[in-house]
Amino acid sequence: MKKRICIIIIFFLSLFILLNRLVTPKYQTELIEGHMIKEYYQEAKNHEVIFIGDCEVYANFSPIQMYKDYGITSYIRGTSQQLIWQSLEILKETLKYEKPKVIVFNVNSMRYDKPVSEAYNRLTLDNMKWSQEKINMINSSMLEEETFLSYIFPILRYHSRITELTKEDLDYFLNEKNITFNGFLINKNIKPYTSFPEQRRLPSYTFKENVYKYLDEMVKITKNNNIELVLIKAPSIYPYWYDEYEKQIIDYASKNNLHYYNLKKVVDEVGIDYNTDTYDGGLHLNLNGATKLSKYFGKLLQDEFNLTDYRNNESVNSIYQNKILLYNDAIK
Amino acid sequence: MKKILLILCLFLLVGCGKAANKVYSLTLNNKTFYLGEEYTKEKYGESIGYSEVSSCAFEGLDKTYKYDHYEVTTYPVDGKDKVYLIYFLDDEISTTEGLKLSDSYNDMISKYGEKYKKEGNLYTYTLGKTNLNIIVENGFVTSIEYAHEI
Repeated sequence: MKKRICIIIIFFLSLFILLNRLVTPKYQTELIEGHMIKEYYQEAKNHEVIFIGDCEVYANFSPIQMYKDYGITSYIRGTSQQLIWQSLEILKETLKYEKPKVIVFNVNSMRYDKPVSEAYNRLTLDNMKWSQEKINMINSSMLEEETFLSYIFPILRYHSRITELTKEDLDYFLNEKNITFNGFLINKNIKPYTSFPEQRRLPSYTFKENVYKYLDEMVKITKNNNIELVLIKAPSIYPYWYDEYEKQIIDYASKNNLHYYNLKKVVDEVGIDYNTDTYDGGLHLNLNGATKLSKYFGKLLQDEFNLTDYRNNESVNSIYQNKILLYNDAIK
Repeated sequence: MKKILLILCLFLLVGCGKAANKVYSLTLNNKTFYLGEEYTKEKYGESIGYSEVSSCAFEGLDKTYKYDHYEVTTYPVDGKDKVYLIYFLDDEISTTEGLKLSDSYNDMISKYGEKYKKEGNLYTYTLGKTNLNIIVENGFVTSIEYAHEI
């Protein structure tokens, strides 16, 4: 009798787990940005540079290009609209796996002091491994209408997908493919800059206290681990990066002895042409623009932070040679 | 007794329905624009500028149409572009209730009352699923924006 009960329990548990897997989006052909967080876990953890931040990192920098040009090993742990408290948890999680020399943080998310959208939360959280950091991130990111339980059991959130399953859900039920190259999402499209809405007047241009708290925590963690925290502002035309924002970051970097590079200011030097180097009219760079920016920023990193040229390291180089082959094929 | 209760409930339901349907609107040159309605060139007229903003991961574009004194931004819903923002660019136009940029805080209160939500300099008046966002700096209105909940 007991055996029968056990079998029934195991059957229903298995069914529940399978159903959870079936209805959770696979992020392979649609909303592929939701797959990025997962790809890091399969990587050899030998990166000297880790990028964290929102779409302005994963669209604008190519780690493979930086390896090709300078032998820098880097990875982008970026996700769509990654908020600063999410960046902090990703930083903490990364340090459980490896200790890079440099952490590059894109400061665009300083403008957000509260969660924005459940859809973006899901892109960052659905595929993150369970850890204390993920729990912290869920708790600090959830909107009022969300529940913690729905992150543990995705079926509570995605149950309606059971009648809307697509071929993708079956094709990638067991095995998924990687969609980035060391966290870089290639986009070869070209959409020239034309115009953006008028600059809005804001009720306040001062970054909120809670946002600074998270940045302070990043500074503390990186200093304790003897890691250089580098602040950047990626070169996007929109959303507007107000002068008031810029001043606050410059002051913060100076007060905390951090490097800050506003790459918007060097677009001419980098050679970015918003007629050809962006895929969405100036919000993000395309492959062409990201290649130019990576050449520039890789040189800067190499010069400033005494990074190792891993092209002379046989074991690392053999891994990257395979990556380069795939990358060259993808950018053709 | 039951019939009376039923009738009262029906009245309540009808009342709730009406309140939920209320939205802010902007009347300019005898045309009334409603937040949440579909944007059409026939109604809104030829714009003098146009820009698109895509989101980081999701499909669909925010489209902003620039007119002489305001901008209208739409958001895609079921294949239709619905108006969700109207932003004032200068003090040549007024809200339907008569408030314009550079008016005073007291003008705002006399036209909209004190039932607002305040966050810093931002005063938000809500009607159904629409907000009227007003920024007041040094006692004067410096920004007016109508917004529909997405």
